[in-house]
Amino acid sequence: MNIIETQGLTKSYGGFTAVSGINLHIPQGSVYGFLGPNGAGKSTTMKMFLGLTKPTGGSFVIDGMRFPDSRVQILKEIGSLIEAPSFYGNLTGEENLDIIRRILGLPRSSVSEALETVGLTPHRKQLAKKYSLGMKQRLGLAGALIGRPPILILDEPTNGLDPVGIHEIRTLIRSLPQRFACTVLVSSHLLSEIELMADHIGILNHGRLLFEGTPDALKRDATFQGYPTDNLEDTFLALIDADNRQRGGAR
Amino acid sequence: MSTMNLIRLELKKIKRTGFLPAFLGGGILAAAVPAVNTAFRPELFAGLSAPPVSILLGANWQMMSMLNVLLIVAGACVLYHIEYADNAMRKMSTLPVRESSLFFGKAAVLILAGVLLLAIEAVSVFGCSIYWFSRAAAPSAGILKSFGFFLLMLIPAALLSLALASACRNLWTSLGIGVVCVFAATMIPAQRFALTLFPFAMPFQMPVNHTGDVIRNYAIAAAAETIVISLSEVIILKVRRIFA
Ligand SMILES: Nc1ncnc2c1ncn2[C@@H]1O[C@H](COP(=O)(O)OP(=O)(O)OP(=O)(O)O)[C@@H](O)[C@H]1O
Ligand SMILES: [Mg+2]
Repeated sequence: MNIIETQGLTKSYGGFTAVSGINLHIPQGSVYGFLGPNGAGKSTTMKMFLGLTKPTGGSFVIDGMRFPDSRVQILKEIGSLIEAPSFYGNLTGEENLDIIRRILGLPRSSVSEALETVGLTPHRKQLAKKYSLGMKQRLGLAGALIGRPPILILDEPTNGLDPVGIHEIRTLIRSLPQRFACTVLVSSHLLSEIELMADHIGILNHGRLLFEGTPDALKRDATFQGYPTDNLEDTFLALIDADNRQRGGAR
Repeated sequence: MSTMNLIRLELKKIKRTGFLPAFLGGGILAAAVPAVNTAFRPELFAGLSAPPVSILLGANWQMMSMLNVLLIVAGACVLYHIEYADNAMRKMSTLPVRESSLFFGKAAVLILAGVLLLAIEAVSVFGCSIYWFSRAAAPSAGILKSFGFFLLMLIPAALLSLALASACRNLWTSLGIGVVCVFAATMIPAQRFALTLFPFAMPFQMPVNHTGDVIRNYAIAAAAETIVISLSEVIILKVRRIFA
């Protein structure tokens, strides 16, 4: 069963199309890796799922519900981390999570659990404004995880983290479907990173979906089309490059 | 979320912003105005024949209300500045809570801060009238009525400054516009009833200057403005979401 499905989902800004008629199928309980170079439309797609921006075409269903009618209901089911960190600079990490906890109506203990999960416990009394980029990113992750939502939307969650942090968060994300029975939609620029976490992959370039399926299916596809497959990163680059050339030729 | 919880949430958010100390300090400053003013020339005021509360407010309310409105404008700016400064608003809009609920939670906090201001000032006016005008009986009823009226007049200004602050991502923009509006309001001639209904002008009105009918009209106007500003804000927030 797909917990998120889109039909011809499109977002245009004026004459520029950021997301162009994509059909995504995100299976329940999967870690779905959303892959694409800068400006591919990953964040834009995720923002549409959160009701932060309105599609200009097509539609999508999240757990059987649609915007704007079920806005609050949908948001109850999604924990999210989108682009730049967002927090109250005048509050500590702990107080920031407490604000979210109050809105979600969670027990007090959920704050310390979330802090522990992302490894922020030693810094919980520090002002969020004074956090390093990686700590802010961890705080954002904690804010997404705190309610143990059935759906997690994480936009480049390892952005700004050190190698140890990247490894920790990757391991965490991979374990989430079993631990919390949730579905994770996670974006990245690196296929090598997605490969380590995701069991489903969607590749986006210039707003168009180039591929959707399992990593194995991607390898099979690539072999069939004569792309390099010893290293998936090369496959990804070849795929994007071929698409760019084709777009260039069509122009 | 319940109204109580929304208010508690907004109170948690304003930690370390200096919001409450500013209102406490501002209230004490405004409360000092009638005391200092009367202490310097007691014979001038004690010699007047009007009721003490009318004398005290007549001589000092202009100054006191000016402080009140400026504090309300600045307070409103702070309440939204914390949302915009580090993009907390983005997080809020991905949580299952309506932006209009946040607005009304903030409005409640701002109006409560206004109550705090007025309460400190009322105590001061009460003390002054006992101390310098001992010939009269304790004028508590008159003070309560006056300050109840002041509170009613302050609500539209509070909502309008908050709506302004929610529209401007930059603290200085909303603060600048608010302050300009307050100073413009002080220049409105008192005889032009319609003009004095400008939300930033109403807090300067004094019931002692008006007949019962006019007081009633001000009260109705304040209630009407409260409803209109609230509804407009709800609509603006909806429209802003559509165009996001
Ligand atoms: N508010 C906006 N107005 C106009 N264009 C926009 C807006 N938001 C995004 N875009 C454009 O849409 C395209 C897709 O942006 P998006 O942020 O979704 O990319 P992305 O895949 O998340 O990239 P990155 O990996 O750099 O985060 C970009 O070309 C961007 O310039
Ligand atoms: Mg992005």
